[in-house]
Amino acid sequence: MVAGLPSGTEVAHPALTIRANPLPLMVALLALAPVVSAASLKVSVAARDGRALAGAVVTVEPENTGFAPAPPVHAVMDQLNLAFVPRVLVVPVHSSVQFPNSDAVSHQVYSFSSARQFQLPLYRGKPYPPVRFDQAGVVTLGCNIHDNMLAYIVVTAAPYFGLADEHGEWTVDGLVNGRYRVRVWHPLLNEPEEPVRVIDVNADPVSAEFRLAKPLRPAPLDGKPRSWNY
Amino acid sequence: MELLKRIVIGCALLGVGPAFAAEWEMSLDLRVVGSDGRQSFLEDGQGKLRFDEDHQGIQLGRLRAALTQPLGEVFAAHVEASRWDDDDKNPVDLTEAYVEFRPYPRDGWRTRMRLGAFYPPMSLESRATGWETPYTITPSAISSWIGEEIRTIGLEAQLDWLGTRKGHDFDFQLTGAIFGWNDPAGTMLAKHGFALHDRQTTLFGRVGEVQSDPTKTKKELFHELDDRPGFYVGGQVRYLDRAVLNLLHYDNRADPTVRSDELRDMAWDTTFDAAALRIETAGEWTVLLQALDGRTIISPSRTLTWEFDSQSALLAKRLQRHLLGLRYDAFAVTMLGRPTGPGSEDGDAWTLAWSFEKDEHWRFAVEWLRVESNVPRRAVDLGETPFATESKLEFSARYSLHGRY
Repeated sequence: MVAGLPSGTEVAHPALTIRANPLPLMVALLALAPVVSAASLKVSVAARDGRALAGAVVTVEPENTGFAPAPPVHAVMDQLNLAFVPRVLVVPVHSSVQFPNSDAVSHQVYSFSSARQFQLPLYRGKPYPPVRFDQAGVVTLGCNIHDNMLAYIVVTAAPYFGLADEHGEWTVDGLVNGRYRVRVWHPLLNEPEEPVRVIDVNADPVSAEFRLAKPLRPAPLDGKPRSWNY
Repeated sequence: MELLKRIVIGCALLGVGPAFAAEWEMSLDLRVVGSDGRQSFLEDGQGKLRFDEDHQGIQLGRLRAALTQPLGEVFAAHVEASRWDDDDKNPVDLTEAYVEFRPYPRDGWRTRMRLGAFYPPMSLESRATGWETPYTITPSAISSWIGEEIRTIGLEAQLDWLGTRKGHDFDFQLTGAIFGWNDPAGTMLAKHGFALHDRQTTLFGRVGEVQSDPTKTKKELFHELDDRPGFYVGGQVRYLDRAVLNLLHYDNRADPTVRSDELRDMAWDTTFDAAALRIETAGEWTVLLQALDGRTIISPSRTLTWEFDSQSALLAKRLQRHLLGLRYDAFAVTMLGRPTGPGSEDGDAWTLAWSFEKDEHWRFAVEWLRVESNVPRRAVDLGETPFATESKLEFSARYSLHGRY
């Protein structure tokens, strides 16, 4: 059993959702490839009860300022069966995200998060150009027609990022020796302070373990029949 | 005033050139009923059930058609039409028809307005399309009464604070409305008390059969008699998508001295407070508590007052496509100063239902319901025993279609 994720939840890495332009993906993958005497860092995230926290967003950046974010990507967040797919999307800053609506009914997507405010007036299909995200932060998305639709885009300036797998683990290879700031985020996180650790990467491999102090917030309830209004 | 009512409701039917496809739904709900109910309130009896002993076997539960038509970016019209298998005034009639104005939220705040005819936002139970409850076939006594006598025909405004979209755990909502054309609301409570049924009264129809006694009310509820608008105010707090608390204060502000010869009824000055709490767990359990407390007054020559209240507790468990619901209802109506007066009663009911959503088209359900009630008027008017235990076993097969054009 994986903590924090109700069955049916889909969490996708932007690399899995790139459809328009594969070139930045290759660039991003190349950036993660081993360099000279590089180390790997394994991050594991567990809920307070010790269960793996799948889908946790992990970002890794050098402790010193002056690093470059990962190259921007073109990602897709679809709308299907009155839900955003994926529910959590992580993209580097300056990335753009397309919001097609694959449902038969119209949606109206909005965000009033400080990292990016926008709205896409009532639509079906793919009538609008992608939305660009230039500021790091968590962008919460909703639909003005269907209040149960809720999704997040995590815009990160970190050069390395990813999503914890079903074992609550995510590994980054090719880190040059040095000190790195590792952050963890999850939509159901209820921590009093953001989980962040500074890890000294000077051997290979290095691991960083996070154990949440508070129980997760309740996960959204899924799978209601179509005839239920709300 | 009747013309104005039609204009208000008619607003919902007017399109301004559909730029967006309309979404439509149709459903046919057939029932097989076994019942030992007394003569139904729908046939001027004092029975608590929609299908009484004389209405068993195959019955039409509901034939329903609904249309939602977006009108530009932020307006949408919604119309609900139904046919029930009894002798209503019109073979097909509307239960709701309104235009909704839904502007884009700004910085966590959102307003919504509805103009037309619709239900006040008080039932956390009637959450399925067509204002039906998904938990049972028959809604609670409270929702049954709302469906029977209450409709907002007017203007409603809501203000939402969407905290969950700003990283918080709570959303808040305030609602206010002014309305007319609901002055007879309360007359059915004072005639037969509460009942347990899914038969919603239509906007231009009446409660069941034509009145056999030409001196008694026509049972038409959506009329304006005193030219005094009513109002309601309410609030809602939501904790994520797990818990909802809903509060409503309703007052139709009817002038209880006004009589309509045409309707053979009074304007009933009806006010009530309603509260509902719904909690849903990760294990797919639902707990739903409802309470209603109010009174209605008429003053034909002297003032007559009825007090009414009802409480309901539902426990439901969803298991994939299956839903099991168990509900208890208690209800009472008291005519002040006349414990055996019309409408006076007290009773309670148990409902056990199982439903299965086979796919997006078929839903099957079976429900057992038993209601015990003590209605002194049964002895006075009908020569029956005042105390009655009525029960029914009902099977429902519903086929739905939806699409857009």
